[in-house]
Amino acid sequence: MKFSIFRFNPEHDEKPCMQDYEIEPQPGEIMLLDVILRIKAMDNTLTFRKSCREGVCGSDAMNINGRNGLACITPVRGLKEPVRLRPLPSFPVIRDLVVDMTRFFKQYHSIRPYLINGEPPPEKERLQSPEDRDKLDGLYECILCGCCTSQCPSSWWNPEKFVGPAGLLQAERFIADSRDRATRDRLDDLKSAYRLFRCRTIMNCTEVCPKGLAPSRAIEKIRLMLVKESF
Amino acid sequence: MSGLRAWMVQRVSAVYMLFFIVFLLAHFLVDPPRSYAAWRDWVMSPAIGVSASVFGAALLAHAWVGLRDVILDYVRPAALRLSLLGLLALALATLGVWFIRIVWLGHG
Repeated sequence: MKFSIFRFNPEHDEKPCMQDYEIEPQPGEIMLLDVILRIKAMDNTLTFRKSCREGVCGSDAMNINGRNGLACITPVRGLKEPVRLRPLPSFPVIRDLVVDMTRFFKQYHSIRPYLINGEPPPEKERLQSPEDRDKLDGLYECILCGCCTSQCPSSWWNPEKFVGPAGLLQAERFIADSRDRATRDRLDDLKSAYRLFRCRTIMNCTEVCPKGLAPSRAIEKIRLMLVKESF
Repeated sequence: MSGLRAWMVQRVSAVYMLFFIVFLLAHFLVDPPRSYAAWRDWVMSPAIGVSASVFGAALLAHAWVGLRDVILDYVRPAALRLSLLGLLALALATLGVWFIRIVWLGHG
C-alpha cells in the first residue's frame, strides 16, 4: 500500500513536505496505527502520538485522507491510496503528525469542566437518579482527541474566542448534570457573540467524531436552554 | 448584540418572512390584482402596510445578523471590521428608508 505522510521537523526543515512510503500490511496489521508503527520501525524519524491503541486515549487523532479520525480504530484496508496522513488541520504543528493542543485545552478549561456545587458534601457521595444519570450519555464519553474542533470551520476562523465543539460538548455535560449547581453561570458564560454562537451548525464535528458523539446536538441543547432561560 | 439575541432575531425573522412570503404567493395565485390601481389600493391598506413593514424590518434584521456573522467570521483587522459593519448598517438603513417611502408614502 502507498502512504503519503506529512513531514515537518522545525529544527531542519523550512517548509513541510509529503513523504511517500510503500508498505504492505501484514496479517494482524488491521488498523492504520499498526502500519504507521511499522513505518516508524523502518524510519524512526517519523513522529506521532499514540498510547492506548484502542480508541480510548485519543492521542493518535490525525487527518486521514482529508478526514479526521483515530489511526488506531481506522481499518487500514478500506483506505483510498495513497493514504494521505496529515496532522490535525488548524492546530499548530510541532513535528510531523504531532500538533500543539494548548489552545484546544485552554478552551476546554474555559468551560470549567468539573462539578460546581457549593452545598456541603453528603457523607458518602452526591446521588443521582438513574434517569438523571442517563442525561449524561452521549456526553461523558468524549476522549478529547480534538478531531471535531480541528475539523470545525468556526474554530478555524475564531480559535481564540469560539469554544469549539469539544468544549461545548463538555459544557453541556456539566449543564445537564443534576448534581451541578452552576447551570445559570455556565449558560451566562456562553451567551456572547463568540463563545457558542459562532457555531453555524455545519456539523463536521458530529460527522467526524470517532466516538460517534454529536457535539452539534449538545450545542443545540445549550441554545434551547439559553432561549428558555431568557424568558 | 449578544450571540443569543442575534440568534433569536435571526430565527424569529426567518419564520415571519416564511409565513409572509407564503401569504404573498397565495394572494397572487388566488386573487391577483387586476390593475395598477387595485394593486396600489391593496398595498396601501393598513393591514398590508403594517405586515409588509414588519416584513421589511424582519428582512433588514435578518440581513444584519447574517452579514454581521460573515464579517465576524472572516474579517479580523478591527478597523476594517468596524468600517465594514458601519457600511453594512448604512446600506441597510438606506434600504429601510427606501422601503418606508414606498410602502407608506407611496413613491419609490
